[in-house]
This record gives sequence, structure tokens and C-alpha cells, in this order.
Amino acid sequence: MRRPSWFAVVTVLGALSLVAAGCAKEEGGGGGGGGGAVDCNTVEFGCVTYAAGAPIRVGTLLAISGSVATLGLDSQHGVSLAIDYLDGKFDGKPGQLVGHPVQLDNEDDLCSKQGGQTGGTKLASDPTILFVVGTSCSSSALGVADKLLGDKGIILISPSNTAAGLTAPDQHNPFYMRTAQNDAIQAKVVSDFVYTKLGFTKAATIHDESPYAAGLTGGFKTFFEQAGGTVTDEEAFTTIAGGGSSDFKPLLTSIAQTKPQLIYFPDFNPECALIAKQAADIPQLKGVKLMGSDGCNASTFFDQAGAAANGVYLSSPIPSPGASTSGLLDQFNAAYKDQFGKQTAPFNANAFDAFNVVAAAVKKVAIENSDGSVSIPRVALKDAVFQTKDYAGLTGTLTCISTGDCQAPLAVNIGVYLSPDVPTNKPGSEPIFNETITLEDALGSG
Amino acid sequence: MADGTTEVAPKPTATVGRLARFPLRKTIQLVIGIAVVAGAAWGAYRTISLGTFTGAAWRDLVVFGVAQGAIYMLIALGYSMVYGVLRMINFAHGEVFMFGAFGSYFVARVLNDHGLINSSPVLSIAILMIAGMVCSVAVAVLLERVAYRPLRNAPRLVPLITAIGASLFLQNTARGFFGDQDRGYPTPDSLGGSWTILGIPILRSSVIVIVVAVTMVAALTWFVARTKTGKSMRAVAEDKDIASLMGINVDRVVVMTFVIGGMLAGVAAVLFALVFGLVGPFMGFVPGIKAFTAAVLGGIGSIAGAAIGGLILGVLESVGPALFLTGLKIPGPNQLKDVFTFTILVLVLIFRPGGIMGTGEPEKV
Amino acid sequence: MTMARSELRRRAVRAGLLAAVAIVYLCLVGMVQAFSTRNIVGGNLPLSRILLLLPSAVAASLAVRPRVRGGVTMELNMGEAAGAGASIGLIAGAAVAVGIGIVNLIGQEAVRGVFNAVTSALMLTLTLQRSTVVGTAILVALSTATGALFALAGVLAPRLRRPIVTGLTVVLLMGMLQSVVRVMLVQLGLATQWLYSVTFGGLTYLGAVASFAAGMAAARLWALRREAAAADAAERAEAGGRPRIPRAMLLVPVGFVLLALPALLGTFLSAVLGQVGIFVLMGLGLNIVVGYAGLLDLGYVAFFAVGAYATGVLTAAVNSGSSLHPGLPFLLAVPIVVLIAVAAGLLIGGPVLRLRGDYLAIVTLGFGEIARVLVTSDWLKSFLGGAQGLIAIPAPTMSVGGLHIDFRNPQPFYYLALGFCLLAAFVSWRLANSRVGRAWNAMREDEQVAEAMGVSTVRYKLLAFACGAAIGSLGGALFAVQIGSLAPSSFVFFISIQSLAIIILGGMGSIPGVIVGALVLVGLPGFLTEFAEYQPLIYGAVLVAIMLYRPEGLIPNVRRTRELHEEEVEQDAWLEGVPEPAPSMTLGEAVE
Repeated sequence: MRRPSWFAVVTVLGALSLVAAGCAKEEGGGGGGGGGAVDCNTVEFGCVTYAAGAPIRVGTLLAISGSVATLGLDSQHGVSLAIDYLDGKFDGKPGQLVGHPVQLDNEDDLCSKQGGQTGGTKLASDPTILFVVGTSCSSSALGVADKLLGDKGIILISPSNTAAGLTAPDQHNPFYMRTAQNDAIQAKVVSDFVYTKLGFTKAATIHDESPYAAGLTGGFKTFFEQAGGTVTDEEAFTTIAGGGSSDFKPLLTSIAQTKPQLIYFPDFNPECALIAKQAADIPQLKGVKLMGSDGCNASTFFDQAGAAANGVYLSSPIPSPGASTSGLLDQFNAAYKDQFGKQTAPFNANAFDAFNVVAAAVKKVAIENSDGSVSIPRVALKDAVFQTKDYAGLTGTLTCISTGDCQAPLAVNIGVYLSPDVPTNKPGSEPIFNETITLEDALGSG
Repeated sequence: MADGTTEVAPKPTATVGRLARFPLRKTIQLVIGIAVVAGAAWGAYRTISLGTFTGAAWRDLVVFGVAQGAIYMLIALGYSMVYGVLRMINFAHGEVFMFGAFGSYFVARVLNDHGLINSSPVLSIAILMIAGMVCSVAVAVLLERVAYRPLRNAPRLVPLITAIGASLFLQNTARGFFGDQDRGYPTPDSLGGSWTILGIPILRSSVIVIVVAVTMVAALTWFVARTKTGKSMRAVAEDKDIASLMGINVDRVVVMTFVIGGMLAGVAAVLFALVFGLVGPFMGFVPGIKAFTAAVLGGIGSIAGAAIGGLILGVLESVGPALFLTGLKIPGPNQLKDVFTFTILVLVLIFRPGGIMGTGEPEKV
Repeated sequence: MTMARSELRRRAVRAGLLAAVAIVYLCLVGMVQAFSTRNIVGGNLPLSRILLLLPSAVAASLAVRPRVRGGVTMELNMGEAAGAGASIGLIAGAAVAVGIGIVNLIGQEAVRGVFNAVTSALMLTLTLQRSTVVGTAILVALSTATGALFALAGVLAPRLRRPIVTGLTVVLLMGMLQSVVRVMLVQLGLATQWLYSVTFGGLTYLGAVASFAAGMAAARLWALRREAAAADAAERAEAGGRPRIPRAMLLVPVGFVLLALPALLGTFLSAVLGQVGIFVLMGLGLNIVVGYAGLLDLGYVAFFAVGAYATGVLTAAVNSGSSLHPGLPFLLAVPIVVLIAVAAGLLIGGPVLRLRGDYLAIVTLGFGEIARVLVTSDWLKSFLGGAQGLIAIPAPTMSVGGLHIDFRNPQPFYYLALGFCLLAAFVSWRLANSRVGRAWNAMREDEQVAEAMGVSTVRYKLLAFACGAAIGSLGGALFAVQIGSLAPSSFVFFISIQSLAIIILGGMGSIPGVIVGALVLVGLPGFLTEFAEYQPLIYGAVLVAIMLYRPEGLIPNVRRTRELHEEEVEQDAWLEGVPEPAPSMTLGEAVE
């Protein structure tokens, strides 16, 4: 007897919910303001307006907790230094952008999709956030934070996302850009180094189930095999934090059976350190070289691997300043040391550049209103960032291309270091091999 | 599917129905068992006929497995003893192990600063073991006192859930105290390289792990069988109430059990740190789960069972992926090694619910 | 009757030492410093300072509560209470002072080599941004005063104490949830300047007073309502009639509130509620397996993964990383997903039928791990995307009168989640009160007896696994819709623990309990970014604390409570010394 009435209630509730959902869609949007060339009331996504003296709010969405915190905090320090430098000097006192102070809203990307989702939604729901520097990890951005923020017209610019998919033409979100190098480039340089410089034709790869490592090992395989090499074994492991074991000896023994000349393991620490240490214990791996990448390349690697770190090749982007900014890089490094101590990851300069590229665009499009407030149209801001050309940044002279890669004249200088002479271990170390190639070079051949 | 109102009541003839169903369940389990064994045999045959792996490689894999298994064995003993006495899974035992590692790490750092680690490695390792044991025992006893003792007579699931909570709490306490980053553990240089024993080159660290583990198991067996405390432990394990009527102080015996489990975990922690050269807040979780699996595998509550379970698990993890999967051309075989761990656990529990060394049913009501 | 002096002194010292341990722990674990940037009221009361004083406050107010000893209630007078509270606060404050002294003696660098959290920032927080000696002295004084004040509050009559506690809780919550509440008010077009300070971010003094008053008023109203309800119930009991208002009618206002929430709360809060919805589903499903059938499943994440991946593969139309992309519409995919999950449930349940308790827990944990390993593996990469996961999972859409609704947007998603949750709750409720539910009860309480009475335990265990799997997979399906791409790192053991913690906190076997558990454990950390890092720590603490002090959960299921408290004579010993929770405990108090 009660069922029909229940049914009616549910139906009514359902209908109401649809109406409410419809109404809910109308909320949000940017503030008013206006004047100037752009009419903030009509342009798509509107403008963000800050009252006189109110801070411009910038979000960061970086991996600031967990075992990857070294990566995110390092980038966050880069952003802080960029704000410090808004007044043209590293003095520990924040500068101003178009006459307004800048306030950071730091969220955690947790280096996961959920983190990207939670942090992205939070930042996207705040209409006073101008742009976001992040994410640290590609998985937090791809299809998650880039979409959430892009749907609200908020720029997401990453200092350390390297996954190729983020700027692939069919997946690129119009409001996403990055100053980190595309993994396709790094994989190509590593392949060139191994095949040409070392003259090896047989290599094995190990990835740690992260999109970053799986992307790099996959890219390496493509390039290496094109060049004429063979990938003898493709192995993978579960990270210790993800529930895997610390014992890599069986895995390395399996790899040894395929007789590679080099093992490429673009993973993170502590696994990189453990692999380096345990490879030394496998007699059948005698003479086999080890190669990691910028994920391994952190201060923790040298602490954890100890003497076993010596002789490991590590690739990493090299800040290659033009003549005009070479002094700036030194100042930046000094200020970093002064304010935050030792650099823990190689992307702090990318974070500095990421903030500045957008800040430069803000200066171009900001509309100063008569009451001292400032309005920044979102779409115009994005377009201005994409028009960035030959910007003198710390990591080189940056130009942004339409799929979101903002890099030194479309190219990145990737260096290969021979441990222990690595900048994250011994500042000022020189690479033993470096190559500057464009994204087209890399993708064109792959 | 879930509309339970259509369920019919069990008929009065349910007894007959139950008897009729009984072989069906057996049959299903038998089919699963045969399928798994046949699959494994096929994979192994394919791998061996491929001939990628040399004899030396198989030998090395077994040795690595035994060394890893020896560590599981030491941790498993802690689980097994607590289960034997209290009939509860001390889920936080992996964290007891982790705190032991941290305790010895801080001592190791001091020793290393004074160069003692390399100048007198044997003495240093002895000191580290004591430090590890003290820390692990302290955490284990605290855990028992604060979290488990008030629940001694609670329904079975209650202390288990408490133990899971305690595990999470201790893990993240260590994370807050000591930081997220794993820290490099100073190891003596003389521990690097290998010794050749019976013509087989074995890593020095592996030799030490195996020797220490075997010694500890022997000592524990003697302790439980011969000493007065050991006897009262066995009595409490047999029947708490009667033991207490016989004048045995049950609380004291339980604490003693945690002390011994903690000592073994502390030793295991130092060995683990020496082998892998790392300590970190999450280092205890996976070895803990594996060791518990090993204890169940061998027959929980039995010392020999824990030892055998640990060894089997270690060797299976090391050899299994290479042996069973390489030949089937499955990519990334080492990713799948946990599948072996838990499949063998399920198989053993299906066919021998008490574990390899255990007897009969896993529990009586 | 007043208590003996020595007894009082012993109790105060004990509480003081516990508070001291708690404060030192909170400092060393990093929580104090992590919360130092969130101002609660004005610029001088960040969350870190509240946290520093909280242990003294809680210890003091609990230590002076009346206690029943040998059938006689022992109460303290105001003076005694204040004295005891002050000494508790003093002991706790002194512990911090000693800690500061030790750090200064050994040197910060050396201490930080062991305890990561001991930074100069923490030392400044502890000394209230003043010089070491002055700051420490002020801290000790503050701690002593807090202890005394809260001890006084502790001996107040409940009708006075409750409004005060609720008021303070409201102020704390309003301050903690500042960013959320502010955005909400802005979205509603309301002014926020009077409530939240522009400079400090926290409540203004006016805002704090208003929040406190609102909290007090709410507590008073609630108490009046309860009294009225009690009187009403008594009247009804006398008359022997039915309640004046049918219970079903009460659902109407609740329904309206549920429907209006997204519009009131805005996108971010709706997104958090969506997440809560996902975990309500997980909790409801696990509740059937653990709460009803008594089978402890530690691998529940397996069903979450099955639901999410099945949805991802079935609904993706373009290349999502899987070689299969049939592109089914969501509503068509859901029944298939549920069927797959049921099959998975039977597959997992089948082999482990004979295992009970601890063995079952460890085997299911193994299955959860296997699920994670398989979705990550390169072996199944062509179907499930391997480490790269699945992308481009479409969200269901709907067009109503030219209006296009995308269910990935937080507000429509909320309704989707709400619908699923209502369905699952309804099914759970019907199951619990059916023959099946009674069979589960019998099985949980005593399997042998149940079997002897003709309950087919094999069949009911399988049914429990199947139902649990079905509901859990709905959670997974929603997860796939919400995020739009899947990575294997989302399907870890912690999800199983999270689901378990939800039903433990709420109360095993209790449907409202699941909802409250999910709101507290998933909702609150979603609002508070600083807590995210400490979420696992808090889960652990919650599990232990609930099991020790209130094993039946916040909103207990009547039958479970009886089982836990009365069924076995053995348990009487265990129950001794466990304070009997006040039956009228409000949620505010429980959270405090």
C-alpha cells in the first residue's frame, strides 16, 4: 500500500532536483567592473576585479605533502621567490603586481587524481583566483585539474608536469600551459645519449607504475628502437608507499638475464636509490650502466643511495639563461639558498618562470579602473600568455606554442650528469652530455 | 538482485540440502586448485624451455628469496606468538618493526659520526640490535597496555579493528615525527660484497640475515619449550582461564609475549635496515602484511610454521614471477608478485585451513 | 558527597600528565605548526594556539565530571574544580616549557635531526612570537587559566554547560571552515565583511560573538524540542496511540533540505558532498558485509575498483587508454557494472566461505591488493590502461527543456550521488528488516547455531558479498563519473580502511551511522586542507578511540549495541571502567 506514495515522493523529488540543478548552473562567474577595450560583462568568463589595495589571489596546486613533498615545496618556493622579485629585487619582501599585492592560496595536488580533483574544484569554485601554478604531478592535471580550472577560464600553468599527453593536440585544455619540458624531449635526449654517446644498442627499462615513469620508458623505447637499438626487457614494480617491496634483487636478476648494456629507470626516490644500491649486488649486472632521470634527481637520492649513487647517469633540464638573465639565475639561486635552504628538486626555476610568464601577461591586459580597482579579463589573459615570445626567463628564452608548451625557443636543453657530479648534490656541476632539441624534433621523429 | 524479500525460508529439510550441497563446494574448490596448479606448471615449463634464465640466476633468486624470507620469518614469529596467546591479529606489529628500525637508526647515526660503524662493525651491529629491540619492545608493550588490554574479553572483531587503527596511527605518528622522506641508514662497508659458501656466492648481508634469523628461531624454540615463562605461555595459549586458575599471571604472560615479539621485530628491523639501507615511516606496513601472510601460511600459533611460511613466501616472491610468468610472455612479471603471495594463501587456507604446520580448523568456537 | 583530597590530587595529576603527553605529541607530530596559519578569531587566535590549549581544556573538563564510585555520586565544588583544572593546565603548560628548554639546550638543529617538526617556526608558535622566556611564561599562564576555566565549565549543570560547549564548537567550526563559508555567502550575494576579517581571514570579534550566540540559541532550542518530544512521547505512551505526525511526513522537510543544498552551498561544497556521497555508498555496501553479516572485509576497495574500471571501460567512446570502448550510455552501463561486481563478489566470497574472523580479514585484504596489482599491471594494460590509467570517461548528460546538464559538474553530480545513496540506503534498510537480514543477524551472532537452525550460511554469506559488492561498485561508478579519468593509485588499501572507519565511527549495522561517519571522516577533511595530511592519523585515532570507548559507534544500531554490551557475561569485566556515554550526547559534544 505504501509503495505508490513513496513512488510519488521520489518522482517529485527527482523533478525538483532537475529544476534546482538548472538553477544552480547560473551561479558564479567573474565580478563586474569594466571600461577599457574589453567589456567585462559580455566577454566569455568575464573579468576578475580586485578592489583598490586588495590582494590579487593566485593559487598553487602542488604536491606539498607525502614522499613527493620535496618536489612540490621546491616549486612553491620558486613561486614565492617570483612574488619576492615582482619589485625587481630578491629582498624577502613581496613585490606588487599592477599595484596590488599578491596572495598565494596553496592547495595540495597529493600527486594523484583525487588531489587534483579536490584542490582543483576548490580553486575553481573561488571566483577571485586569477590563475593557478600547478600541478606537480601530471596525473593530477591530465583530464582533472586542467579541465576543472579551464572550465572556469582559470589558467593552470605547471612548473613540473612533463607527461606528453597534457599538450598533445587532441587532449590539450585551452587554459593549460607549462614551463616544464615535455617528456617526449627528455626521452629523446636520453635515447640519443645512450645510443650515440655511449654507443649502446641494448637497454632495459623499469617503470614504477606512475604515468611519468611509464611515459618516459615508453618514449625511450620508441626513440631507441627507431635509432636501431633494442629494449631487451621492460619491467615494472610497485612503489613502497603503494604497497610494493623494497627488494629489487629478483627483478634486477631477471633483467640481467636479457643482457642489457644499460638499465633506464626514470622513477622516484627511494626506489631509484634502492635500485642503484641493489644493482651493485647483482654479479650478473657487472658493467651494466644505470640511468635515471629528473624524478630520481633529488637530494634524497644521494642520501639514500650513498656510494652506490656514484656512476649513475641522471638526466635533468638545464636552466640555460640567455646573456640577459644569467646574472638573474645566480641571484635566484642565492636567494633560494638564503630563504629556503637547499634546493630539493630541479623545477624551482620553472616555477619562477611559470609565475612570471603569466604576471607579464597580466601587466599587458589589466584594466585599471578609476576607483583604484583593477579588472583582468580571463580570456584575454590566456591569449596574452599564449602570445609570449622570447620571454627572458630563468630556464631560457621562453616562447609559448598553442598546445601549451612554454619553452626556450621551442626547445629544451636537457643535460645528462654522471653522479655524484649532479647539481642537486654538488651545486655547479657540469653535465657530461647535453642536447637542445625542439618538441617538433622529438615528436617528428616519434 | 538485492531485494531480499523474495528470499524463501530455508525448508525444514535444510539438513538434507546442506549435505547435498557439500560436495559441490568441495568440487569448486578442487577445480580452482587444479586450475591454479596446472597454470603454474604450464608457465614454469614454458619458462624453462625458453632458457633465458641461467642456472646461476635461479640459484641467486632462491638465495635472495631465502634472505627476504628470513626477515619475514622474524616478523611472522611476533604475529604468531601474539595470536597463539591472545587469539588476535596484532595488525600493528609492522609498526613495532618500523619503530625498532628508527630507534636503531638514530643510534647508528651517532655511531657513524664517530666512525664506529666501519671500525668495529660487529660491536656496532650488536649495539644497533639492542637499540632496535629496546624501541620495538617499548612500542609493543605500550600498544598492549593502551590499546589491547582493555579489550581482552571483547568480541573478536573489536581488537582487530583497534589493531588496524593503531597501525595507521603509529605509521602516521612516525611520519609526523620523523618526516615523510626515507632516510639513508649507515651500513658498514664490510657488509658489502659476498662470501662464497659451499661454492655459492652469497651476499654478506644475506648470510648475516639468515644466520641471525635461524639463531633467533632456535633460541625462541628453546625458550618456549624449556623455560618456566615459556611453559606458562603455552599454558595461557591453551586456556587462559584455566591457566589463571593454576596461578599463572595472565597479564604478565601476555606482556612477556609482546616483549618477545617486539624483540624479534627489533632484530628484524635492524637486519632489514642493514640490507636495504633505508628507514622510513611506511617501511613496516608491507613486511608486516607479508609476514602475517607467512604466519597464516605456515600455521599461525606455531613457531616452526612461521619459519616455514616465511621462507616459502620469500622464495615464492623471488622466484615466482620469473618462473611462472616469463614463459607466458606476460609483461612486467614482477609487478604481479603479490598475486602469488595471496593466491598461495587462499589455496593453503582452502585445503589446509590451519596452515601448513597447523592442524584442522583455523578456529574452534 | 565530595571526594577525598588525595583522590582529587591523584586524578588531577593523572589528567595533567595525559594532557602534557597530548600537547607534546601534537607539537612533535607537526599538527600545531600546520595549523598556525588559520586564524579562527581575529589575528591572535590561530588554530595552532587553540590546539595548544585544547588538551588542557579537555582534560580539565573531563577530570572534574562527577563520578559514580560504589553507588555514590561524587561531585566537586567550584573552588575544588578550579584548583584541579589550574593544576592540570599548569602541568601541561610546564611540559611544553620543559620541551622548549630542552630544545634550546641541545640546539634546534640536533633536535630536528630526530623530530622533523621542531623548526624555528614551531618554536616561535610555541612562544607566541615573543622572546623565549616571556613567551613560555605566557603560554604556561594561558594553559593554567584555560584549565581552570574549563574545569569550572565542567562542573556546571548540563543545561548551562551544553549551550556553552555548543557555542564554542560553532565558533571553532565557523573559524575553521572560513574559506568555505565565505565563498558560500559570497555566492548567495551576502556581505561577509562583518563576519570574517579581510586582513586575518578568521572571524571578526563581532562574527565570533554572533556565532557563539547562534550556537547557544541552537543548543537551547534543541533542548526545548527534546523536552517537548519527550513529553509528547510520554503522553502517547499513556494514550497508547500512534505518533501525532507520521514519521514519513518528517522526510518531506529533510528531502527539501537535501535538494536545496547544492544551490545553497555552491560548487566546492557540492563537490565535497559528492565525495561524501561516494563514501556513503562504500559505507553502506561494507555495512552489509561487516555490519549485517559480520564478515570483516579488508579488501573492499576491490569492488570500488571493479565499479570504477567497469564504468570507465563501458562508457568510454573514444580511445581512453583501453582497447575496448563500446561507449555505452551511463544508465545502461550501470546495471552491467553491478552484474560484474556481483560476479566479483561471488568470486571473492566463494573460496573463503569456510574462513571466519581474522582469517577472512587477511584473505580479503589479499584480494584487495590483487585488484590493485591487476589494474596497474602492464599485463592488462590494453584493457585497463595500466599505470597510465583510463582517460576520457564521459559524464552522463541530460537535456531538459533546452537546458544541458553535465553530471560531472559538482551540483548535478550531487543529485546523481544523492539518488544512488537513497537507492542504496533503501535497499539496505529493506534487507536489514527482511528474512535475509534476520538470517545475517543469526549468522553474525553465532554461525554454528544459525546453521543448526537451518540458516544456509554458505548462501547468506555469498548473498552478503554480492550485495556489498553491488553497492560498492555503484560508489566506484560514481567515482569514475566524478573524476573522468582513473589512475590505479586511487585504488589502494587506504580506501578499504576509510570505508571501515566510516562504519565503525557511525556504528556497525546503522544506516544513519554510515551517513554521519562519511560526513565526519570524508566531508570535514575535504573542507579543511590542513587536515588532509593528517587524515590517516586521525582515522587511526578514531578507530582506536571508538573501539575503546564506544564500540557501538556514534549512532548505534540497537541490536549491535546489545551484542556488544550485554550478550556475553564475559564482557562485563571489559565494560567495567568504560564510562557509559550519556544517551543525549549531541554530535557537537561527540566531535569536541
